[in-house]
Amino acid sequence: MAAVTSSATSLRRYALTRLALLLPMAWILMTLVFLLMRVAPGDPISAALGGRLTQEELATRRAAAGFDRPLIFQYLEYLGDVVRLDFGRTLVDNRPVTSVIADHGTATLELTLAAMLVAVVVGIGIGLLAGRFRDSPIDLFGRLFGIVIYAAPIFFLGFLAQLIFGVWFHWLPVSGRASPLVANQIDQVTHLFLIDTLLAGDWDAFVDVARHLVLPAITLGLVIGGVFIRVVRVNVIQTLRGDYVEAARARGVPERQVVFRHAFKNALVPVITIMGLQFALLLSGAVLTEQTYNWPGLGSQLIRYLNNRDYIAVQGIITFFALIVVLVSLLIDLINAWVDPRIRY
Amino acid sequence: MHHRWKLFPILMALGLILAACGTASPSASTAASQAAASTTESTAPAAVTIVHGTTDQPISYDPAGAYDLPSWNVIYNVMGTLLTMEPGAETPTPDLAESCQFDDPQTYTCTLRSGVKFTDGSDLDANDVKFSFERNTAIADPNGASSLNANLEEVEVVDPMTVTFHLAAPDATWPFVLTTGGNAIVPSDAYPADQLMDSTTMIGTGPYKMTDFQPGVSTTLEANPDYYGDPPANSKVIIQYFDSSATLKLALENGEVDLAYRSLTPTELGDLRTKDGIQVVDGQGAEIRYLNFNLNLPPGDQLAVRKAAAYLVDRQAIADNVYDGTVEPLWSMNPAGFTGHVDSFKDMYGSSPDPVAAAKVLSDAGISTPVDIEIWWTPTHYGDSSADEYTEIKRQLEDDGLFNVTLMSTEWQEYTGAAFTDQYPAFQLGWFPDFPDPDNYLGSFYASTSFLNIHYSEVDDLIAAERAETDPAARATIFEQIQQKVAEDTPIIPIWQGKQVAAALDGVTGIADTFDPSFIFRYWLISK
Repeated sequence: MAAVTSSATSLRRYALTRLALLLPMAWILMTLVFLLMRVAPGDPISAALGGRLTQEELATRRAAAGFDRPLIFQYLEYLGDVVRLDFGRTLVDNRPVTSVIADHGTATLELTLAAMLVAVVVGIGIGLLAGRFRDSPIDLFGRLFGIVIYAAPIFFLGFLAQLIFGVWFHWLPVSGRASPLVANQIDQVTHLFLIDTLLAGDWDAFVDVARHLVLPAITLGLVIGGVFIRVVRVNVIQTLRGDYVEAARARGVPERQVVFRHAFKNALVPVITIMGLQFALLLSGAVLTEQTYNWPGLGSQLIRYLNNRDYIAVQGIITFFALIVVLVSLLIDLINAWVDPRIRY
Repeated sequence: MHHRWKLFPILMALGLILAACGTASPSASTAASQAAASTTESTAPAAVTIVHGTTDQPISYDPAGAYDLPSWNVIYNVMGTLLTMEPGAETPTPDLAESCQFDDPQTYTCTLRSGVKFTDGSDLDANDVKFSFERNTAIADPNGASSLNANLEEVEVVDPMTVTFHLAAPDATWPFVLTTGGNAIVPSDAYPADQLMDSTTMIGTGPYKMTDFQPGVSTTLEANPDYYGDPPANSKVIIQYFDSSATLKLALENGEVDLAYRSLTPTELGDLRTKDGIQVVDGQGAEIRYLNFNLNLPPGDQLAVRKAAAYLVDRQAIADNVYDGTVEPLWSMNPAGFTGHVDSFKDMYGSSPDPVAAAKVLSDAGISTPVDIEIWWTPTHYGDSSADEYTEIKRQLEDDGLFNVTLMSTEWQEYTGAAFTDQYPAFQLGWFPDFPDPDNYLGSFYASTSFLNIHYSEVDDLIAAERAETDPAARATIFEQIQQKVAEDTPIIPIWQGKQVAAALDGVTGIADTFDPSFIFRYWLISK
């Protein structure tokens, strides 16, 4: 009893400590992004109107927008706004940064969830087979497949998929979250189109949205899945060598049960950790995937605002991304600690 | 029981795959056409939806906050201006105004068209006009075009349907300025006087009303039933924004968009010309590219160097080899199709490279060859072909040993600051017009107040004269004189004039009708 209480207490303390560290982490991130964006040459006004207006006119407009104020004043003003949960308005198109995140974040969420599903199904499935049938053609295929899809650039995979399944065979659409008319008609309750179309009972719209999701999710998911294949394969091989597995075989347990009931479950435990670590890769991959498939997520917006030196927008989006990665990592650590009683803090 | 959760992700995946393999739904625009209700009113627009894919994204749909082509594109279709450019016209014609005229060179009076309603139901009157211009100046948004109205002193409401513009100086371009998207008229009781309206709201008098705007995703326009003019050739337009032209091209090939306009690369357009079911439509454009010399830095500060380069540049080779015929040689900084255009550089330097003449002009000036020159270009503002274009220019200048060119590049953000602060001896620039008048080119480039670092005051008197001249023929003569003068001194070498090019599915009509130097993309002419 004392040991269980001690474990629960230490886990609670660990969780609270990690949560408390979020604040300074967020502050460091925002400061770094603030400085990086302002060190880079240019500003949104020059980006849009350079080469059309005189230097004097550009300077006047920059002054009117406050870009010529000392950096420290701009920084303190920004921090003050953030404390009030006001992340400012984008410089390029005058939108609240929070609404940019809300409007486009759900698109990224939908893509990343679907991609993670693909990664888990493909990665775990192939990894399990490769590990089970080690040194067989199945294993060889699994390893090669994992390396190739992990190494292949996302935009290359994406363009290939668009060309084959879209342009050549006309099986699937190559861009967007939904057909234009369908997108217009979706009542966006959750902003997750799959769920919103189901809530509305619109099966045609659901099918349209699902068809648009297939290629981007598979493209992004396969890249992440390549990592899972290798991790699961190695873990399966190791667990199949374990003493308890030998003991199970010695007791006459059928091989199928040895693999699925004994080895596989234990092989999956590190995968939970890997999923958390790969989440950052998933988000960065989402940026490229969104560009390739014209998926209107936060990643594509980040690129657009970066190109226009809209540092207000970039600060907000990158900080949001970073906080999400940190929160997911924390969640994974807590899940690990809860699942694996051997972990102590 | 506890095994069932393992099946969930597999079942979800299967569900997605089955849904995806469901009956392929027709393209959205086709479905709209097929499902369109028949109309009984002869004045109603055809029940057709056009999906336009583009890589251009708008900044603001408030006229006071917009100075970019994609924003003005929508403003032209949803809002009205006092004057407009009819397709192919060289001079403005009344739109919201019934008539306009110069009372004297600094006073311009317009009588409004009666019975015009905004989409919020309010009536257009002179107060709306005064309000629209004054708020543009008052807001002076950093991204707006209030600088176009710098010559405006006052807007006077003469009576409820008459306004008079009082200008600080004679300005023959003022009618053209009234056609620009930044001077679209908004209702005075709906738009704020001191800040921009959110882009999700547009209240205008045009052939369309905006019914939906999702930033970064799409803009939807539907035919305005209260429009005073002819109904558009379609009932709905969906403008879909793309991050990459490659994806836009694929979307067109897959039938997900009806037309792709701005901006496909020359290579992509060349490939689309070979595809069945797709048409590529060309039209006259007004976008130009040019090579600019800094007159304060060597070697461009020497006239002989500039003239030698002018003798050597082979525009046709650039148009053919780099741009696959999507651009045309530009022989003057007043583009072809504009009032008073003359092929001044062709007349002076020939239509093909003349290395003999180039060598002579350098030797006559006592300049030893090869002339070392640093030429800058930017890969992130003027399109993917800029690298090839300037590699070709380098080859042309070096071909006969007269120049030794060092090409330098940097991304636009740094480029735009350095180019105009005496850091680059010669550099790439481009331009598209605010309005289709030669002054928007020649005056913008060569006046001593130019944004360029030329400080070329030799033509200031001519520019002032053309701005004060209201007779078109006399004005054209002045423009010809300016072009001759600047070709002699050649602080700028014109390179190419772009065509407007769109790719569309077969059956889409009206695109060629809207292509003209005004750059107004008139959705109301497009149908299928």
